[in-house]
Amino acid sequence: MPQIQLTGIQKRFTVYERPEGKWPLLRGAFIRHARQVQALDSVSFSVEEGEMVGYIGPNGAGKSTTVKIMSGILTPDAGKCVIMGRVPWRQRVDHVSRIGVVFGQRSQLWWDVPVNDSFDLLRDIYDIRPASYAVRRDELCAALDLGGLLKTPARQLSLGQRMRCELAAALLHSPRILFLDEPTIGLDSVSKLALRAFLKEENQKSGVTVLLTTHDMDDIQALCRRVMVIGRGRLLYDGGLAVMLECYAAREGQDIDEIIAEMYRDMELGEE
Amino acid sequence: MRRSLKFRPLLKACFSLFRIETAESLQYRAAAIAGASIGIFWGLIEITVYTVFFLFADRNEAALSLPQVVSYCWLHQCLFGFFSMNIDSEILAKINNGDVGVELCRPLDLYFHWFSKTAGKRIGRFWWRGIITAAVALLMPAGYRLGAPDSSWVPGFCLFLISIGAAFLLCTSFGMLITAIRMGITWGEGPANMLFLLSLVLSGAYLPLQLWPDAWQGFLFFQPFAGNFDLPIRMYVGSLSPGGGAAAIGIQLTWTAVFIASGRVIMKRKLRNIIVQGG
Ligand SMILES: Nc1ncnc2c1ncn2[C@@H]1O[C@H](COP(=O)(O)OP(=O)(O)O)[C@@H](O)[C@H]1O
Ligand SMILES: [Mg+2]
Repeated sequence: MPQIQLTGIQKRFTVYERPEGKWPLLRGAFIRHARQVQALDSVSFSVEEGEMVGYIGPNGAGKSTTVKIMSGILTPDAGKCVIMGRVPWRQRVDHVSRIGVVFGQRSQLWWDVPVNDSFDLLRDIYDIRPASYAVRRDELCAALDLGGLLKTPARQLSLGQRMRCELAAALLHSPRILFLDEPTIGLDSVSKLALRAFLKEENQKSGVTVLLTTHDMDDIQALCRRVMVIGRGRLLYDGGLAVMLECYAAREGQDIDEIIAEMYRDMELGEE
Repeated sequence: MRRSLKFRPLLKACFSLFRIETAESLQYRAAAIAGASIGIFWGLIEITVYTVFFLFADRNEAALSLPQVVSYCWLHQCLFGFFSMNIDSEILAKINNGDVGVELCRPLDLYFHWFSKTAGKRIGRFWWRGIITAAVALLMPAGYRLGAPDSSWVPGFCLFLISIGAAFLLCTSFGMLITAIRMGITWGEGPANMLFLLSLVLSGAYLPLQLWPDAWQGFLFFQPFAGNFDLPIRMYVGSLSPGGGAAAIGIQLTWTAVFIASGRVIMKRKLRNIIVQGG
């Protein structure tokens, strides 16, 4: 049984829109148009323990929705999802104590308190034994170079510093799976390189499974042998990165972003 | 087996959250001094109004004497830090911008997570404000001074202290109930604010409940919000029999339990179909 298995996952959102035409503001006060958005349309895949998988697709493709479902914080309309023998949204508390999640656009550190206090809090929340906690924290601090940041409140950190702290926070309890939703968004090159190096090492050392969504193809190229491409809620490709690039490379020495853009065009995935 | 084992980590985690928020809010001394100043200002105005009122009213009619009312006003200002007219701003922001999702990524019951947080903040806010107000109130000239606790029955003071603890839990659990009701709702703050205002009026903040019409006293004693300030203060000023004190604490704890249970049920229901916004 694979560590992560999704079968036929469906998720639909209802979005309310203001009516178009004349006096949209005024009419909007009385009528709302409800529209259904199929965020995920029968998505199925499985991931084995220790894999590093890139999950890519244009904006609005359904990547974050998939990550939320796998993290147990969103319930799909239909389909099966079993991760380490559990159904995430049904056994949420058990499930999340064994995974780590980082959302690049949100912070999970306590905003006003020093990073170190956040870590201590996580120790209590995840019920980590003090001895192993100290070892793990020092290990992560060394690997991510957090030494100087521990006394700073999270809100005073730069984006790159914060992201390193977020990563440490997500790994303190030594989860078996790590979900990263656009972790490199907004980071400068130095921070990106540091993050990649760290993830690679962490995956090799502890065998943690990593599922990574990103728009930065260099992240994928540096880390993942396997990619999954999603567009308009459907899984369009699942396989080796090299094979995919070969398929879509029009000419020698083409930039990877160009290849991906070509592929999206070929799959008729514009931005919506 | 796992269920029973989990209780201790939950307690520990909640206590950590509580402690960290308390420590955090204790740092805001300027806010505490501002809060205390406003409280003292209000206390003085209230006392002046009551003094005039008692001067012209038929004294034998009132259930409370003037000195008792003066102490009531001060104690109410001291305890006011427990109470909040708003949903915790940090939690409200999380509800509105979808950061609830991040909170749900933690292996922790969301209700108790937020309860501990809110409680910690309130204790921190209460602490300085309460102490400063009490100190000033004790130094006031006669006629405006916070009186000594009712000494006719010594255990009464212990009951008063217990009752303050219960009042704190009661205020916090009510705030959490409103928070749970507010979740996943897009129509804004109006109804929540009205509920808070209602609870404030019924907790005796504008007029001590014992000065309300006699016919209402039964209802006022048993309704949930008397426990916010009025019941503990009655124990201090001695307008409640010792037996009544135990009953009052019973009422406070009962309503706390009701608020916690209903808040949890509502939050659980909301979480089932909450949509985590943004991505
Ligand atoms: N809370 C929501 N309410 C309504 N529509 C949503 C919500 N979350 C996501 N969507 C829609 O679902 C689709 C997929 O979104 P998402 O998974 O966030 O995309 P991605 O992360 O790949 O950019 C988009 O069309 C988006 O508009
Ligand atoms: Mg996204």
